[in-house]
Parts: sequence; C-alpha cells; structure tokens
Amino acid sequence: MALTTASRPALPVPAPAPPPARGRRKKNYASRRSEGLAGYVFLSPWLIGLMAITAFPMLLSLYLSFTNYDVLSSWEFVEWVGFDNYKKIFTLDPTFWQSVRVTLTFGLIAIPLKLAASLGVALLLNKERRGVGLFRGMFYLPSLLGGSVALALVWVAMFNREGAFNAGLSLFGIEGNNWINDPDWALSTLMVLTIWQFGAPMVIFLAGLKQVPTELYEAAQVDGASKTRQFFHITLPMLSPVIFFNLLLETINGFQGFTSAFVISNGTGGPLGSTKLYTLHIYDKAFTDFQMGYASALAWIFLAAIGLITIVFFSTGKFWVHYSDGEN
Amino acid sequence: MHPATPAPADEPTQHNGSLPAGGLNRRHLLRLLAGTAIAVPAAGLLAACGDDEPAVDPNAPVTVSFFWWGGEARAKLTEEALKLYTSKHKNVTITPTWQAFTGYYDKLATISAGGNAPDIFQLDDNGLAEYAGRNVTLDLSKYTASKKIDVSNHPESLTKYGQLGGKQVAIATGENTPAIIFDKTKLAELGVEAPQVGWTYDQIITWGAGITTKSGGKYWGLMDPSSDYKALWLWLRAQGKEFYDGPKIAFTEADLVAWFQLWVDARAKGATPPADVCHEAVTGSVATQLVVTKKAAVSFMWSNQLSEMQKATKNDLGMTAYPGDPKGQWARASTYWAASRTTKAPDVVADIINFLANDVEAGKILGVDRGLPNNLDVRKAVSDALTDQKMKDTVAFENEITPKFGPAPAPPPKGHSGLRNTLRDIAETVSYGKATPEAAAKQFFTEAASALA
Amino acid sequence: MARVRGWVRVLALLGVLAIVLYPLIWVLGSSLKSPTEVSSNLSIWPQELTWSNYSDGWSYIPGVSFGRFFMNSIVISLATVVANAISCLVTAYAFARLRFWGRKGYFALMIATLLLPGHVLIVPQYVLFSEFGWIDTPLPLILPKLLATEAFFIFLMVQFMRGIPRELDDAAKIDGCDPYRTFWHVILPLSRPALITTAIFSFIWTWNDFFTQLVYLPSVPSYTVPVALRLFIDSSGQTSIGPMLAMSVLSLLPVFLFFLGFQRFLVQGINTSGLKG
Repeated sequence: MALTTASRPALPVPAPAPPPARGRRKKNYASRRSEGLAGYVFLSPWLIGLMAITAFPMLLSLYLSFTNYDVLSSWEFVEWVGFDNYKKIFTLDPTFWQSVRVTLTFGLIAIPLKLAASLGVALLLNKERRGVGLFRGMFYLPSLLGGSVALALVWVAMFNREGAFNAGLSLFGIEGNNWINDPDWALSTLMVLTIWQFGAPMVIFLAGLKQVPTELYEAAQVDGASKTRQFFHITLPMLSPVIFFNLLLETINGFQGFTSAFVISNGTGGPLGSTKLYTLHIYDKAFTDFQMGYASALAWIFLAAIGLITIVFFSTGKFWVHYSDGEN
Repeated sequence: MHPATPAPADEPTQHNGSLPAGGLNRRHLLRLLAGTAIAVPAAGLLAACGDDEPAVDPNAPVTVSFFWWGGEARAKLTEEALKLYTSKHKNVTITPTWQAFTGYYDKLATISAGGNAPDIFQLDDNGLAEYAGRNVTLDLSKYTASKKIDVSNHPESLTKYGQLGGKQVAIATGENTPAIIFDKTKLAELGVEAPQVGWTYDQIITWGAGITTKSGGKYWGLMDPSSDYKALWLWLRAQGKEFYDGPKIAFTEADLVAWFQLWVDARAKGATPPADVCHEAVTGSVATQLVVTKKAAVSFMWSNQLSEMQKATKNDLGMTAYPGDPKGQWARASTYWAASRTTKAPDVVADIINFLANDVEAGKILGVDRGLPNNLDVRKAVSDALTDQKMKDTVAFENEITPKFGPAPAPPPKGHSGLRNTLRDIAETVSYGKATPEAAAKQFFTEAASALA
Repeated sequence: MARVRGWVRVLALLGVLAIVLYPLIWVLGSSLKSPTEVSSNLSIWPQELTWSNYSDGWSYIPGVSFGRFFMNSIVISLATVVANAISCLVTAYAFARLRFWGRKGYFALMIATLLLPGHVLIVPQYVLFSEFGWIDTPLPLILPKLLATEAFFIFLMVQFMRGIPRELDDAAKIDGCDPYRTFWHVILPLSRPALITTAIFSFIWTWNDFFTQLVYLPSVPSYTVPVALRLFIDSSGQTSIGPMLAMSVLSLLPVFLFFLGFQRFLVQGINTSGLKG
C-alpha cells in the first residue's frame, strides 16, 4: 500500500476506546458535563439571536401564511383563512407552476456549472505565485458588482441584438438573436450571469484548499503518487466538507436567486415570465399585489421543498464527505 | 423610520375604537408568537384605541416626515420649497427623505406596516387606491371643505381624481397627460409629417408603416403600446367606454380582443417592431425608450417626460396626444400628496399640502417637475417663468389639449397595480405570437376576476 | 516542453479572464459616455470622453457628497465584518466540537433559518425592530450580526472546523485544557482560512446589500453606496446613467482592495504535524 499515509484522512480511524475503568468514567462524566455547559456558553449569542430576532419573523410569516394579511391594512383586519392560500397556490395559480419550472431549469443548470467553474479556477489559482492574488481578484471582480443597477445595462449591452455577444458571433459569420429579449433564451442569459459571478464559491474552495495539510502531499510524493492520484486521494477527500458546503449553499442560494433576475428583467421576470424565478413570484404577490399572506404561503412551500433537498444532501453526505474530526 | 419623534405609548396611533373587540391586534400577535423569550419593550407598543383628538397648540413644535420618489432635480426643488415653509412656520420641522422609484413602494409598504408611515408621502394613481382603500391615508375631505386645503382654483376633474368612495384621499401634485413623443429629426430626415392631435389609430398605424418602409425596415414607425394599461384606457375612453367601473372591469372581452387585434395587424403591416424589440422598452423607463435608443420614431409616454427624454438624445423631440378622440383624456394627477392616517399633526400636514398646492412662491420653486401646478394662478406664474424649451413645449401641449378633455373617471381600484402587470404580461403573449388575441383576452379576464376580488 | 505548457496555460487563463472582465470594461467605457450617447451606443468605446461623469456623480446628490455614502458603507461593512467573525466563530465552535444536549436539533434549526426566502421576512422583521425602538438607528443593520443571525457563516465555519483533526483537541485536553482554552489555543489559530473567508464575504455582501439598507436607513445623508447608486435612475423620470456608472466603478474599488488585502492571508497555514508534537 503505497498510499497509506496519504489516504488516511479519507478514512479516519476513530481513536481506540480507552479501557473501561471506574475512575476514568467518572472523570469523563464530569468533563462531559462541563463540555455541555461550555456548549451552551458558546452557543448563547446564537440562541439569543434565534429567540429574539430570527424566530419571530419566521413564525409570524408561518402564521400569516394562513391569513389574508395584505401589509397595509391594520393588524385588526388580519383574518385566519386556513389552508386557502395553499389550496389556491396549487390549484389556481398558473404563475406558481411557471415559476417552479423556471426555477428548476435555472437551478439544475446554473448551479452545477457555477460550482464547476469556481472549483476549476480555484485549483488553477491555488499555487502561491507572484501576482496570483491579482488574478484571484480579477476573477472575483464580477461578483463584486453584486446586484448593482449597472448590471441591467451591462447585460443588455452584452446580450441584446446589437450586443457584444452577437458582435463576437458575427466574427464567425453567425447572426445572433436578441437573446435577452427572447423568451426562449432570456433564462440562459440569466444563467450566464449567475455563473459569471462565481467568486464566492471560488474563494471558499481556495480557503478549503489552504486547509489541506501540506505534509499529506509531501508523503504522497515520497510514495511516488502521480498528480492525478494525489488529486483524487488527497485533495478531493480533504476538500469534501467544503465541497459539501458549497453544493448545499449554492443550491439554497441558487433556488432563492432574486436580485440578478429582478435587475436584468427590470422587475418584470419577463419576457413572458421566462425569467420569473420563484422568489420573483413571491415578491410580486407580497409587494405588488399586497397579498403577503399568500406570499408567505409560497415561501413556506419553498422552505419545505428546499428543506427536503437539504435533508437528502445531509443523508447522502455521509457517504462522500470526510471530516477529519472522525464523525459523520 | 420616519417620525423622528417616536410615539409615546399612551398616544393613539391607531384609530379603530369601533372595531370588534375580538379582532387581532399587534400586541396580541407579538405576545402570541414571541412567547416569553422576547422582552417586548412596553414603550412603542401600539395601543388599540384611545382619544381621537388630542388638544393641539398651534405653536407647539411639530416634526413632520416627508417621503417622495424622484431624481436629484426634484429633490433640490422639493427641499427648497419645504425650507420656504419652515422659514414661515418656525415651530415646524420637516424631515425629508427621497429615493428613486424602484423600491419606493416596497419601503413605503414596509414602514407603513410597521406603523411608521411618513406623515406626508407621494403616491401615483397606481398606488392611490391600494393605500387609500386600506385606510393608510388620512381623509382630507374635512380640510378641503373648510378650505384649509383650498381646491377652489384647481381644475375640478383634477380634484375629483383624488377622491375615492366620496373621500378626498389625496391632493394632486400637478396635472399630467399621456402623450406620444416622437423623433422630429428622424421624421424630417425621412420626409414624413409629424403626427397630430386627433389622429385615429388607423391613421397613425398607416403612418408608422410608412416610416418603416422608408427607413428600409430596421427603424420602425411606433412602439407597440398594447401592453400599456394607460394606452388601452385612453383607447377605450375615446370610444366612450371605461377601464374600471368602481372595483370592476368596465370593458368586455370583445373590446380587449379588438385592442390586441389592432396591434397584431399593426405589426403585420410593419408599423411596430417585433416583440423582442418592444420588450426592451416595456417598463416605460425613459432611458430604454425606442425613441431614445433610435429604434422607433414614436414612444407612448407622459407629457412631463419630454424634457428628460430630450436630455438622452441629440435628435430633436416633439410631442402630441395619443391617437383617438382627445375627449378620452382627462386632467390626470401626475402624482399625489397623501397624508398618513396616523400622523400626530394632521392640521400641520394639511397646511403643508395646501402650501405646496397653492402658494405661488412654492409653486415657482417646484415648477412643472410634478406636472402642471393645480392652482391655475400658480400655473400661469410658473408657465411664464419657464426657460427650458421642452418644458415650455409640455405646457403648450397641456394648454392645447385641456379644453378637449373628457370627464375624469375615478382613480383605479385596489388590485390595479398587480392587474396592470397582468395586462402587460398577457399582451406580450400575443405580441410574441404565443397566444391568439381571443385566448389572451380570456386569460386576462380570468386573472382580473381574482386580482380585483 | 513544460515551459511551453506553462505558457499555454497562462494564455488560456488570460483568454478566460478577458471574457470574464469584458462586461466590467464595458462599464468602465460607458462611464465615460455622454448623456445623449449612453442609451443609444452599446459599444464599449465612448465617442467622446466625458470625464465630468465622475465629478458630476460625486456631487450629484444635493447637499451630500458621494464620499459620505462611502463612509457610511465602510462603517457598516466593517462593523458587520467584526460582528460576524466573532459571533459566528464561537457558535460554530459549539456546533463543531462540543457535545451538549440538543446539539443536532439546534443545528437543524440553524440550517432551517437559511431556507426561507427573505421577502416574507422583511415586514415581520421591520415590525419587530420597530417594537425594539431601533428604527431611525443603524442598529437593525449591525446588532443582529452580533447575535450570529447569519447562519451562512456559522455553517461555513463548522465545515472548516470539522476539517481540523480532532487529535489536536484531544492533545490539548490531555495537556489540561478546558473547552475555553482549547478554543483559544487550538481552534482560533487554525480557523484563519474560515475567518478570512467570512471577513471577505461579510464586507462585500454588506457593501452590496440594497434592500435592508434601503428600508432601515432613515434619511439621504445616512444612505449607503448601493442605496445612493439607485438615486441616479428614477425610472419614471430623471435618469443619469453616465454618473451612475462612474460611481459604480468607484464603488468597486474599496471592495476590490479589501479583497486583495485579505486574500493574502489565505496562505497554506496549517502544518498540523508541528502541533501534534
């Protein structure tokens, strides 16, 4: 086994259990109690935040999802409507199904591509060389633009009929489309935008790569393992917690994507609802139609769906995410 | 955020003493959901009922929050006019806040829901019924009746367009009219006459098709306004019909089919560009209009947008009425001043609104930025003092068309702000060729039924 | 041969970079276009260089210079960086390393707070902060971060901490360290990559956040850069695209510098063998 040392972190061996001894167990118990106390001490800011700040808006929105709350009328007029909002969403709201379709298409294509791009560039820019920081910065630049209003103008200039993309295509003698205003293509331009802003997962990957202990590679080199082997047997397993993080968070954020779709469609989700992501539908219902109760129901349906995906991720994570702390 | 002085707990901030006691109030809601984990501070909680009219000392210091949307020029003018007011009323402090249109209504809704609606805020006719219909606004009838807000010298239809359910819910900030804005330079280049007031839709479509032909096909005659509620509304009114009857749609499915068909035919004749080009301008934003981006000769706009559009292009722009009988037009509020029902100084708020609407000096400062001043004396003084050529054109246009106005309808009802987006999206399914006019009209009426319910 | 391959790689990287940067260069080019040109000319080159967009944009808002907005943004962003780094680190330590009753349940709750779309939370949050009497102050933008309400960063740090070999904790324990000292002497020094990442994102995301800042900032002089940038484009009327693009370009600079400064700390820092000793 040439790669024993290198592959060890991939299959962490739990420390051998200490021999059962009376005194030892007693001490363990005491230390476990003090650890439990410490746990609550460290957790206290978050617990206070949860109870004082995070929980109330969430629970209120859950409650409102069973009401006709319309934002502007005073709270005395809030009426309990049972499951009406939920029923309406599934039976009487064609835009709901449209936005689900758009969001799924968007997420299933854009999220994996964005992750692949960010991992690829992170690997390329991992080695410390002169000027590598500047390169990282420049790849991060598009993300710095965030959801700025400038984006709306830029994306039109790139992807309408007179845009830069078509100018590029014309070099090859191809006459391009009015991509961003074509209901069949507008979503693709939104995906390109999302992938283009791959800076955040890239930085997380970079930070993760920095955490892989160098001695593992040194040992592997001594053992004569090829670069490819090192990648699959050291880098990937050691990076897996971070890959898991990026996969989960990009999925959550990707399906919650709002700002860029809102900005480049000027809030319309158009043309023909082709960029109407789920969150745009929520926004329309909440702030244009003043149906906040209904919007809250939409949001909780979203929570249930994405929660399910999250559970699936966590349970499959057991099989491929390797934690150096020896737990799963 | 707005009232700079937080409400003391014992002051009435909600006037609903007549409501059934079993109703949910916010204190209960908070207690209910927060449990005991949240220490809800006692101060600042809303009391459910209380005395309606605290004794008012006219010279006691008052702070009034004031919120509008607009650009930098409007901000300058408005702040200056408000300073003029506070210089005359030393006990009044006004805290002005402004932002651009995007996000304005989101913020206004959020802070209103939190019980912090600004004392005075700007609305347009899309938002008027949403706010007034849900009792966010203060009923100003009392003040117009006592002439504390003097509307006697305002055009009657303009005053009426601020009334809902018999209440004066807002005062227009100025008069404005939909207008088509066209590229004079381009028309001269092509040797085409300018469109005129009173042209029929057929006339302008034929004319537009001529432009497209003469320019060789990459420049079009006119924007396709089929997705624009105000174009549809004027088209209906020119035929003696209406958009809304109270909270209901007043036109028929057949009317809507005819409207969609009109523009399907116009596109077939080449008068309007393909749907994807029209979509670039569909939000109505000045910078993306086809006249500005030099893709079509005519944009369907508002008369007070001429001066701003002119700044975005070197070509000379002109303006005239929407096609159809001008009796379909009316003196329309460009925006309104509304007051919050929960304001602690309703008299001062009314006085400020009156000042902005009727004071000649204030009017001269504000100019025609929010449309032509309501007060006809102020209007005269302001018009005489204008220097910007395009603003003069706007005034001349308003003066030309005013005598031809029809009677004012009621402002659009609750649900309108969503419904006009519905119209936009459904009209586009026709222009993109994804639905027939018949199917689209049917779809619109289905969705309208639930939006206005 | 290896040299040639190295050059090919650099060229490929530069090619990708050119495509990635093109839209940003377009922003730069368009920030120099005149008002009559900016809507009708989509090319990357301005016909006439309008440098005044920069000076006009800087003093565009009556009575408030853009420098003020930069200061407001910097203060709020830096406060957020510090608050997030501290509060999320201690929370993450609890989740990643300590055994206590209810840990898994709390962890699931923490993840759940990430899942609800924000637009239905805005109004309830506003109502809550209004009850706290926080309206008209910057507290709603900063104080919640001190209470680790940004679950994203907690989870990020948890994932990183779990990559730190547990033998290090055990060694510390044998040396007599309680959980507090283990945190201070073992986990904190090894959490640098996670802390740097958190700092970078906290800064950038706060710098770009529009909606919360819009809702909670009470007046124009307290506006931040993203809120101020939207003052240039009033879709119903006055639009000043050139100055807006000019200020957008300037607003990229602080975040870009912050990124460059902080990414330098993302170096191969961990050599666990030394600690194992």
